[in-house]
Amino acid sequence: MRKLHFLLFTLMLFTACSHINEGERLIYVKPANVSRRVLLEDFTGQRCVNCPKGTAIIEQLLEEYGDAVIAVGIHGGPLGFKGNTKMIGLATDIGDEYYNHWQLEYQPVGLIDRHGAVNYTDWTKAVKDELAKVAPLNIMVEADVSGDDIHITVTATGTDGNTNGKLQVWLLEDGISALQTMPDGTTNRDYVHNHVLRTPVNGTWGEDISIGSDETKTFSMQQAVDAQWDTTQLSIVAFVYNDDGVMQAAKVKVINNIQQ
Amino acid sequence: MLLAVFLLNANAQDQTTGNKQPVSLHGTVQSDVLIPQNDHDIGAEKTDDVLTNTYVDLQLQSQYVDVGVRMEYLEHPLPGFERDFEGWGVPHFWVKGRLGCAELTAGTFYEQFGSGLILRTYEERSLGIDNSLLGGRLVLKPTKGVTIKALSGRQRRYWSWNKGLVSGADAEVALNEWIPSLGNSGTELMLGVSWVNKYEKQEDIFVDATHKLNLPEFVNAWDVRATLNKGPWSLLAEYAQKTQDPSFDNQYSYERGTTALFSGSYSKKGLSLLLQAKRSENMSFRSRRSMIGTSSFINHLPPFTQSHTYALAVLYPYATQLASGEWAWQAEAGYNFKRKTALGGKYGMNVKVNFSHVRWEGTTFYQDLDVVLTRKLTQDFKLLLMYMNQRYNKTVVEGEGGMVCSNIFIADGKYQFSPKVILRTELQYLATSDDQGDWAYGLVELSLAPHWMLSASDTYNVGETHLHYYQGGVTFSTGAHRLQVGYGRTRAGYNCSGGVCRYVPANKGFTMSYNYNF
Repeated sequence: MRKLHFLLFTLMLFTACSHINEGERLIYVKPANVSRRVLLEDFTGQRCVNCPKGTAIIEQLLEEYGDAVIAVGIHGGPLGFKGNTKMIGLATDIGDEYYNHWQLEYQPVGLIDRHGAVNYTDWTKAVKDELAKVAPLNIMVEADVSGDDIHITVTATGTDGNTNGKLQVWLLEDGISALQTMPDGTTNRDYVHNHVLRTPVNGTWGEDISIGSDETKTFSMQQAVDAQWDTTQLSIVAFVYNDDGVMQAAKVKVINNIQQ
Repeated sequence: MLLAVFLLNANAQDQTTGNKQPVSLHGTVQSDVLIPQNDHDIGAEKTDDVLTNTYVDLQLQSQYVDVGVRMEYLEHPLPGFERDFEGWGVPHFWVKGRLGCAELTAGTFYEQFGSGLILRTYEERSLGIDNSLLGGRLVLKPTKGVTIKALSGRQRRYWSWNKGLVSGADAEVALNEWIPSLGNSGTELMLGVSWVNKYEKQEDIFVDATHKLNLPEFVNAWDVRATLNKGPWSLLAEYAQKTQDPSFDNQYSYERGTTALFSGSYSKKGLSLLLQAKRSENMSFRSRRSMIGTSSFINHLPPFTQSHTYALAVLYPYATQLASGEWAWQAEAGYNFKRKTALGGKYGMNVKVNFSHVRWEGTTFYQDLDVVLTRKLTQDFKLLLMYMNQRYNKTVVEGEGGMVCSNIFIADGKYQFSPKVILRTELQYLATSDDQGDWAYGLVELSLAPHWMLSASDTYNVGETHLHYYQGGVTFSTGAHRLQVGYGRTRAGYNCSGGVCRYVPANKGFTMSYNYNF
């Protein structure tokens, strides 16, 4: 009998010790000490039911960390939609190329400063960890549209040792109203897509950059305006990366000099 | 090398001790090879020169001790497996000792408690699933009709073992061994109870930028069940419950998980009936809470939907929805009309009707009504006709696509030219206005016993793409060897087994499959 009581007590101990009451389920964590800007590449698709959940996490991060988090929505992959005669599609061949290059397997999935695929529920932690790291360079971007072209200037200044890698410049568009499959399986035809990658400005994988400590280099480039883009909603993202990931990133809204 | 040592030791022991049961070596070899080709029409890409999934199992058995290893070469696997699946090595190694009523296993092992509602570790190579445990297991049979199991281990995930610890115990009692009146009346009554515990340390899962979840480190699950067999009747009732287990699958919900199932069958010569129902909610149970994909599952729920084999009947296969929940019902009846009766005709006729329905919270996940007639028309010709009406919620199973409603018609004829020559043909048609529209399928298969089989088939999309997915193959079998070579296209789609599915991208090329058992 005593053995039976011991056995029952042991079983109860196992089942009791893990229950977490409703008021005890959240643990407060101090926000990250921001030392740099972080690039979050969101591999998404208009036919991807869970992708709006990833977007919701991006919005939380932007609210907490503001400009320090640079999100880019890369539409493509198996759940991307390239559009038809009736509906706008945001997926591009370049989006597919990036998706395949990084050997991604599902959507939504993110690259946080290009340190490997991260499931969307882990983005907050990965961004937080990355924000605390010190970047070896600073980047500034200026961009304005006049005529049929966007004029872009990227200035990079080394701050900590030599940096060798690639400078990548992308053009993004906000406020695109287009269909999106929602987590409940329904289709929202007027879903507002932000920070959508429209095109790379300086090639799929950017251009070489080598910069020493306290050295400053300036890069100028142009991008022709596509008739489908709303020039009031465009942004430029520039970042430097190599095999160790993204070193630093910057984002600026394109100044629209076109008379409306 | 390891095997050679085992062999030498075992042989030495056998010769010196003169055991009654000689030491024996058994094994299997399975190698599936694809030499892929590009095919832009179907979206097939040549990713490598040669792709192969190759397994070699070896077991050394003796009276008291068994030893086993499995080598796997998956460095360049067939299309559609998760990236972490790639690798090669010896992920299985075990030693099993038996003494009296006890059996102790150390190393890797598979186990199932009851129907698997809280524990089922198994291997399904076609899906890339191998969730074995690395640890120890003790099985005791202390008295007649009683089996007790206890185990603990870490679960395999491709080429590593998850850090979480899975432990559990199971007891089954066959009451008919203890109660003479039950045994004398031919009644078999078995009661079982199981418990599984998963330990996994805290991790940082944020709900917003400044709050993370306080996660339970221990998750407990338990299961009770009873099976009753008497004459043609067989009944199973089982209930399982799981404590708080926030995971990616359940969107980090703190709700408990439950499953209840009932299955009853009647089987007598010429007549069979099956009726079963299952309700499950929040029963995804993995050894890694943040895992996605098909790996790291500790449990498995039986699908309660008909398992089909015909190509178009499995075009839209259902995958059990562990994470959300489902109500599943299945009813099946089979009847043999005797020969030389009005309906049975000269040679008799078999009719089977199956109905499966799966839903949750007002949404139909899957429904399947199928009728199969099998009839021998002449001494040499046997015909199977099947009609199937299917509703497949593509959004639930695949993430998008809406409800696909289809009617499927199948004719399978087998003509025996001689005792050694059999020709089998299949004609199938799937009619639907959803997804990619109608499909047609044809197969010709010639068996030349005892060694050869030749086959050719084509799956054709009538409704949208108008693409042909042709396949041709030759199989040669002799003794324990079986070699199959083929060439053709495979469409993109889901490959399912037991309600678990894997997406396979389109591919094309030469295939080879070799199996050997000894």
